[in-house]
Parts: sequence; structure tokens; C-alpha cells
Amino acid sequence: MLKPEVLEALSAIVGRERCKTSKEDLLTYGYDACIYEYLPDVVIFPKSTRETADIMKTALAHQVFVTPRGAGSGLGAESLAKQGGIVICFSMMNRILEINRANRYAVVEPGVVIADLQKAVEGVGLFYPPDPGSAAVATMGGAVAMNAGGMRGVKYGVTRDYLLGLEMVLPSGEVMTTGTVTAKDVTGYDLTRLICGSEGTLALVTRITVRLLPRPKAKRTLQAVYDSIDRAGDTVSRIIEAGIIPATLELMDRMVIKALEESAHLGLPLDAEAILLIDVDGDPETVERQAALVAEFCKSQGAREVRVSSSEKENEQLWVARRSAFGAVARLRPSCLIEDATVPVSVLTATIKKVKEICARNQVQVAVLAHAGDGNLHPLMLFDQRNREELERVEKSMDEIVDYALSVGGTLSGEHGIGITKAKYLPKQLSPTSLRIMRAIKRTFDPQGILNPGSFLEKTQGNN
Amino acid sequence: MSNFLNIMIPEELKEQVHNCIRCGLCMSTCPVYKQLFFEGASPRGKIQLIKKVLEGKLEPSANFARLLGTCLLCETCTVTCPSGVQLDRLMKAMRAELLSRFSLPWEKRTLFNLLSGSRLLPFCMFWGRTLENPLRFLLPSQGRVGTIPFSKLPRLNARPLISQYPEVVRPDGARVGRVLYFVGCATNYLSENVGRSVIAILSRLGVEVIIPRGQMCCGFPICLAGARKAALKNIRRNLQVFDPTTVDAVIVDCATCGAALKEEYPRVLEEMGEGKAAEAARRLGQKVLDISQYLSRFDLGKNLRPVESRVTYHDPCHLLRTQKVKEEPRSLLKGIPGLEFVEMEGADLCCGGGGTFQVEHPEVAAGITANKIQAILETRADLVATGCPGCRLQIHGNLKDDRIRVVHPVELLALALS
Ligand SMILES: Cc1cc2nc3c(=O)[nH]c(=O)nc-3n(C[C@H](O)[C@H](O)[C@H](O)COP(=O)(O)OP(=O)(O)OC[C@H]3O[C@@H](n4cnc5c(N)ncnc54)[C@H](O)[C@@H]3O)c2cc1C
Repeated sequence: MLKPEVLEALSAIVGRERCKTSKEDLLTYGYDACIYEYLPDVVIFPKSTRETADIMKTALAHQVFVTPRGAGSGLGAESLAKQGGIVICFSMMNRILEINRANRYAVVEPGVVIADLQKAVEGVGLFYPPDPGSAAVATMGGAVAMNAGGMRGVKYGVTRDYLLGLEMVLPSGEVMTTGTVTAKDVTGYDLTRLICGSEGTLALVTRITVRLLPRPKAKRTLQAVYDSIDRAGDTVSRIIEAGIIPATLELMDRMVIKALEESAHLGLPLDAEAILLIDVDGDPETVERQAALVAEFCKSQGAREVRVSSSEKENEQLWVARRSAFGAVARLRPSCLIEDATVPVSVLTATIKKVKEICARNQVQVAVLAHAGDGNLHPLMLFDQRNREELERVEKSMDEIVDYALSVGGTLSGEHGIGITKAKYLPKQLSPTSLRIMRAIKRTFDPQGILNPGSFLEKTQGNN
Repeated sequence: MSNFLNIMIPEELKEQVHNCIRCGLCMSTCPVYKQLFFEGASPRGKIQLIKKVLEGKLEPSANFARLLGTCLLCETCTVTCPSGVQLDRLMKAMRAELLSRFSLPWEKRTLFNLLSGSRLLPFCMFWGRTLENPLRFLLPSQGRVGTIPFSKLPRLNARPLISQYPEVVRPDGARVGRVLYFVGCATNYLSENVGRSVIAILSRLGVEVIIPRGQMCCGFPICLAGARKAALKNIRRNLQVFDPTTVDAVIVDCATCGAALKEEYPRVLEEMGEGKAAEAARRLGQKVLDISQYLSRFDLGKNLRPVESRVTYHDPCHLLRTQKVKEEPRSLLKGIPGLEFVEMEGADLCCGGGGTFQVEHPEVAAGITANKIQAILETRADLVATGCPGCRLQIHGNLKDDRIRVVHPVELLALALS
């Protein structure tokens, strides 16, 4: 519980309406898109950098924990007040401040929803590529803090690759800016990239400058249907190996196909073992040529059918369906845990096999979805979290998947981050030296340890 | 608290709260969240709170009730939810629960008493009209109802539509069909031109129109606020007077009434344990058609005179999402010669009316409606057609430009047929 004078001070900064303390409000800020819950003591909604800084100063003065939040679409409790205190939610600080066509960049506040930025820049012929499955909900602040990836990663990279600069409020309440609006910048350490992916543990991001690209003139979506998931997996590695760079390269297994069909009725083949969803984009001629090439490739690798979209609308329908995959799969069982281990593309097929085998052995129902083009697997493990014993089997499967991914040169997390769900694995991938440096960085930014306590670094054991 | 939990919410719905995996996609399409930007205003937030109540971890407080009330029941979230959670049904059922604990504000009570009584409504309407001061005495004095200025409120029909016609209206020529007409409060008391258009078109096409006496308000507005018991009388009566066996269809010109007869009656009756009535309601529901659906069976083309205008169409939530009627009204409009049809941006987005929502939450409604008005203006249409009286009221009431007329599609059709 917060002391009344702290609440008083906080609501003096933003007004009572934007300082919420009712039980209902706290409950609705006690979750994100993973299964854990932690209640904050107050939720506060700044609308400016100034307000944010004042909130931070107040918190520091009273030694109250602060946890930043965007849309709460994170998958590892990253935005939850794991040790109580203030949740500072940026959803109301959501203006697009500038779209600069001459120099191809945009400046936004952290609460801008990713899809809204995409739409706005596309309206003027520009393109913001990072496109997580949650783009319709997730905020730019959340995307920066998580270094969100997504569907177009294989060709266009992730959030990190589009950041030019940030403005942020430090735990001390000071405001710091990093980067510039120029495409090149090697002045000092790259603090922009340090903040990117820091899971809200170093600073509160209050303004974001992103690099934009010219909007690709044309796009085609291909849907390749397979009777064998292995062949689908092999196709992916072959395409990459052959030097073709599609804009997206997504894989869905039978269970995902079934769930999507049930929820969206797109006429997907229910007897297929796997579907690859592939976008190629660029100049119209290049696109035509690449689409044909990719289709050819899928066929030669054993696709039983390759459908090439004929319209923008058809593209859109397929992608809308893909975006709802996580939720659609959750129709099957009440709870769903998304793994996100990522491996080199060349071992994709083997890894999918292994994942299925691990889950089968532990009697865990699993659906496999993957940003296959960059080896980023999303095994969706289905269960009922009210059943403790089942949850344990899920956790055991997760342990084994992680071990396997690391053993073939992969990583704990491709894009969803560590959060609290994967914190215990951290020492498996990071050396004591890395962890020591990371902790030292955290202490430099946040000597009092009041920003996002209980997050990944603190969750791991080991000395400094 | 525990017996509070066991009334009325069907098990199947209760289980659905566990299927919400909190992905948040519903927030991206919720018009209310997009105005307020906090979780309690979002579908995900509401479902999570309902879950807590069902688990006995949250007392259903007044604040909880208030948050549940901050919802247009436009059903967009239900359509969006990939996990198949029927959020609107859960919220409706929970509202009904809450009503047993918190009574309605007096304005709503008065309104619902009016709507659920068979005599009171005609009585008030009569005196309201006679005094040339329609319902003024029920309204607060600031000069606005929610977002709508008094001057933009509709006038009452001089006489209820039902009393302007015999119970059976015989067609002009040879009889090619026979329908029961569910008139609905709005057409009966406020927009007689809609009803006249419906009857004129059908007569012209050779359809016999039976307007059952004794029909009452469909009860949907009452149900949505949670006052299901009060609505039961209306539902029973309507089931009694609408015997679908001897007609081709039961037609409705109001999106909400159609939604009530097709979907809400069977569900609510089922949820209230009225099995037999639910069965009758299902039989009735199968025969119910929106007027645009019924008219799509006819080839109107050859008889139509040109209407030189530019029209755009707004999808009422209860027509689009509850009844899944999207193309028929558009084709009716597109079939009228001379009439240029322009699709507006976001035609399927809620107009912000939401029954009494705009009266209770005018600030929220204002933002939502402003987007709708903007989309309408951008089409540069001079007519906006829509099959819901609530939407017509809301759009007309907020259009600053009086040159743009808001109509029911059948009004244009009747014009073209005359
Ligand atoms: C259906 C679904 C699909 C998804 N698909 C993808 C995908 O394809 N790729 C991918 O990478 N992720 C994906 N995610 C995960 C998630 O959506 C992303 O991590 C997203 O970037 C989180 O954004 P958010 O606004 O919801 O942030 P939140 O969940 O609210 O917060 C995430 C983290 O960011 C911090 N944070 C938020 N705002 C700020 C700020 N202004 N300053 C400092 N820290 C801040 C929080 O403290 C927290 O640590 C998916 C999630 C779901 C539910």
C-alpha cells in the first residue's frame, strides 16, 4: 500500500482521472498476455515527458517501485508490478509528432500503437517494417523496450534496426536523449540500442525517432500447402540458402491451421500437415519474378499446392488470420504458453521435430507456429493453468526445449524477451561475465533499484 | 456472494472467461477503449473483471457495474476475439446479474416502465404530442440529450403508425406473399415515414402485410440494460401475437428489433430457464428477416424511377454483427437508378449511439460519433442511409450540416417506386 501523501503527490501531477487506485483498476493492470498476475498499488497515465519525470522523481523521493507499461501484450509479465508500486502506463501518451518525408523518419510518443504508425506512414508512401503479431495492440514504447520482431524480420530486421534516437526519463527523474535523426551516428556508446530490448528496466522511454523506408511498390502473398511438416521446414532452409529474401516466411502446423480455420473460415486445407505463408515485396517486376521462383521452389520441395494471392484484399485476409493464430489456438484449451526459442534456420526442421517429440513425451499438447524465415519458433503449449500437475509438465517441456535450442546454437528468446518466465534459464546462455556487466549497467542507470523490480536480471541467481 | 454467482450466467459462458488469453486484440477494435485508453474501458479488462467476480475474488461493486456500463455492446470485440469468447453475451449476462444488486437510475427506470407497459407508452406519446412539447418533461433542462441538442430530436408521429393502418393491408395486385410486420417503437411512434415506406413497397410488390395488434416494444433495450425480468412480459406477448406459421416471413425495419427477434429472444429465454418459450422464440426467429433481406428476393429494377443523389451507408451494429446483414441494404441502394453509392471509411464502425450509451457517457460518445461524422462528410454524400433508428438519431443529431439527410434505405426505395 502506498502512503496517502505519495498518492496525493502523484495525483497532483496528472489529476485524479489519470491516477487510478480502485480495486477494479488495479486488477486490470495486474496481467499481461502471459499467465502470471501481480497487482500494482496505483496506475498512472502521463501525457508528457514532464509529467513522466515528475512521477519518477516523486517515486524516487518516496522509494516507491515504478514499472512501465504499454499495451500489456507482453508474454512474460515484463510490464507487471512484480513487487507492487506504481504502474506507469503510456497508453494515453499516444501522438504521432512528426512524419518527415524529406529525411524519412518519424517521431512518436511511446503510447502510439505500432499499426497506427504503420498506417500513418504508409499513407504518405513510407514504410515502417517491424511487424509483430501484436502490432494492432502493442505500443511503440513496448516494442522498443522488448525489441519486438515479428513477421518481416527475415528481410527487414527488428525494432532495433529502425531506431534512430530516443528520449527517456531516467530513474533519477533526469531526461536524457540518445541518437540523432541522421541515418549514421557513431558519437559515443550506442545507448539507443542498449535501451532497446532492456524490458523496461533502465529508463522510461518518452519519445521515439524511427527510420522509415520507401513503401514497397508491390507485394504478393503465397500460401504453400504441405503433407509433411518436414518438407515445409526444409523448404524454408533451402529458400534462405538459395539467397532469396522473402519479406516474410511463416510456418503453421496442422493444429494452428485447424484453429485458424475454426475462427476465421478462410478455406484452409484441414488435412494439411503444414502451411507456409510467404510474402515477397519490392518492385512489381521483381515481385513477379520472385513469386514465381518461390512457388517453383516450394513445389520442388514437395508442396502439394501453392496458391498465389491475386489481390491486396486476399493478402490481408491471410495475414489477419495469421495474426490471430495465438488466440485462435487458445480456443482448444483455456491456457496457452508461447515458447520462442530460436535456432539457426538450417536446423529448423530438426528443431520442430524435437519440440514435438519433447511435448509428446511430456504429454503436452503443442501447436507449432514459426517466423520460420529467421528460425524463430513459437511452440504454443496448451493446457489448463488451473491444473497444477499439467502446468508442471508444460514447464518441464519448456526446460527441454530451451536446452535443445541452446545446444544447436540457438537462443532463449528470439523476440518475446526473458521476463519472468525465462529468467531462470539466463545463466545457461549468458556467461557470469556478461551477467556481471549487465548488472553493473543496471546499477548505473538505477542505483536505487526502483525501476521494474523483480525483472529478469534480479530473478537469476549468481553473484555480481 | 456465492449465490449471487449462480444466477443466470450459463455455465458455457462462464467457462469462456478462461479462454481469454489476454492477447489484447479486442482493444484494437473497441471504440470505447480507443477513446479512453485504459484497461477498465476495454473488452479484455471487462472480461478479466468478470472472471474475478466469477471466481469470487472481486465483490461486484458499484465501480465494477459502472465499468461494465462503459460499453456500447457493439459486439466488435466478439467478432475480433480469435479465441471465440462471446464477450458481449458475457457482459449482457453480467449486467442482468448486477441489476439484482444495484437498481437502475430513475431515468432508465422510467423509460423501461414506459417501454414495457402496453398502455403507458401510447398514453404518454399521445399527451406528449398533444401538448406540442414531446417528452420535454422527462428531459434534463440543459438543452441536450447526451450529445444531441433538443432541436435535433425527432418529432412524434401524430398517431402511432399501427393505428394508421388496418390489421391486414391487402396488396395492390395479385398476392405473391404474406408477411407479419413487427413495427417496433421507433417506427410506430417516431418515424412513420419508414413504416409507410415499408408498407407501400410491399403492397406495390404484391405482398400482404399483417400488422398484429397488441405487439409491444421488442424489449431489447430493456434486456441490454440488464432488466431481463421486466422484458419478459414484452417477449411473451410478442411470441403470442406473432405466429409465424402462416406467413413467408416476419419482417422488421429496425436493426435492434431484428436482433432481438432473431438472436436475443431464444438466448435470453434459454438463460432464464424458460425452455418452452425459447423453443417458440427459435421458431419465430427462423422466420424473421430484416426488410432489406426480404426485399432482396424481388427484382425491383424495372419499376424504379431515378433518384438523383449521392448516398452513403452506415452499418448498424445490430444489423451487421448480430444479424450478419451487410450486402442486402447496399444492393438495394445500388439498385436505385441515378443514386450514386459511395462507401464511407469505416462504415462498419459503431456510430457511438449505443442505445442509452450516448446519454450516459456523452463525452465518450462524442469522440466516437465525431469520427463517424467525419467519414460521412468525406464521402460528400447528401444522404446517409441506415437501418437503425438509434443510429439515425445519433448521426442526425450530431451532423452540423442540415443539408445531409439521414434516412432508412426503404425510404429511398419507396421514393424511387412512387
Ligand atoms: C498475440 C501476440 C502476438 C505477438 N507477436 C509478437 C511478435 O510477432 N514479435 C514480438 O517481438 N513480440 C510479439 N508479441 C509480444 C509483445 O506484443 C511485444 O513484446 C510488444 O512489443 C509489447 O508491447 P506492449 O506495448 O504491449 O508492451 P507491454 O507488454 O506493456 O510492456 C513490455 C515491456 O516494455 C516495457 N515498456 C513499455 N512501455 C515502455 C516505455 N515507454 N518505456 C520503457 N519501458 C516500457 C514494459 O515495462 C515491459 O517491460 C506478441 C504478443 C501477443 C499477445
